[in-house]
Amino acid sequence: MQLHGLEAALFYVLAIMTLFMAVFVVTARVAVHSALFLISTLVNVALLFILLRAEFVAGVQILVYVGGVMVLFLFVIMLVQTRAEEESRVRLYTGQTWPAVIIALLLAVSFYFAMNPAQAAFRPPEGPSVTVAESSERASAGAGSNISKDTQAVGEQLYRQAALPFEIASLLLLVAMVGAVLLARGTKQEKYYE
Amino acid sequence: MFIIHHFAFIIQLGEFVISFIMGALAYVSPLLMQAQGPLLKRFEPTLINFLMLSFLLFVVGVAGVLSRRNIIIIFMSIELILNAVNLNLIAFSRYLELNKDVLAAKGLAVNPLSGPVFTVFIIVVAAAEAAVGLGIVIAMFRNRETVAIDEIDLLKW
Repeated sequence: MQLHGLEAALFYVLAIMTLFMAVFVVTARVAVHSALFLISTLVNVALLFILLRAEFVAGVQILVYVGGVMVLFLFVIMLVQTRAEEESRVRLYTGQTWPAVIIALLLAVSFYFAMNPAQAAFRPPEGPSVTVAESSERASAGAGSNISKDTQAVGEQLYRQAALPFEIASLLLLVAMVGAVLLARGTKQEKYYE
Repeated sequence: MFIIHHFAFIIQLGEFVISFIMGALAYVSPLLMQAQGPLLKRFEPTLINFLMLSFLLFVVGVAGVLSRRNIIIIFMSIELILNAVNLNLIAFSRYLELNKDVLAAKGLAVNPLSGPVFTVFIIVVAAAEAAVGLGIVIAMFRNRETVAIDEIDLLKW
């Protein structure tokens, strides 16, 4: 992946932090802690996106996930009563912990057997591949600026090759918005509108 | 586990600070790495490391979906799963971008920008899913006074 020196070290730091935070999301007793750990995971993944020179997706990740979806989660946690769970009066897990662990291990084993023969194929192919210096040069070509061209490239791709899916996605968001409002309204509001 | 959750906020705060500083360092690292030499060459992450990471994130998400009782945390685990997929797509996109010329010489025309485009659509679908799902959670809580999935068994025969 052409990450050298400090970037390589950064990858390991971010990877370990991402995994720890993900485990805390799943194991935290208080739902708000879970949400905060999830925010942390998402920020870490966004930083990994930046390492992979996908700045646009990293920005979208921060704006949409951390700024939008997580606020929605926090509002719902605020509206919903989970005190019994926080004070450990009820159990945290369904009885399915062992099946879950077994399924996760099966996935791990299948991943190992899928990846092991393919590992050689995922190495950079033979031949002169682009180095970091060259690629960052390519990314910031023109006017000697240091600004990445990633956003421009993704935008062009989005509006040229993926224009129809883009419109469908906007329609999906509209439908989801109307559906969420309809689902979450109270009985008083239902009477009012009828 | 108790200690970890007791210091949850401290860990989180420190982690945020570290990750932001490291994120800033990522931009100046091309200069610093030239001074480092081939010492860390062996441990440089390649595509397989990113796939490992995204796979582990996926597995953690699956374990959360299968084992937790609180439906909100199940939704959060689904977000983890979707993020693992995003990471996978971006890693492949970067790999293809770096090796585009080599692959073109072999007769494989690739479009590395498909990865980010797909990722944007996945994020859109995830946002829509979270909105509708949490709307259902609120409606369910209003009717049943619970968010535990084993108590929501109206359709169970």
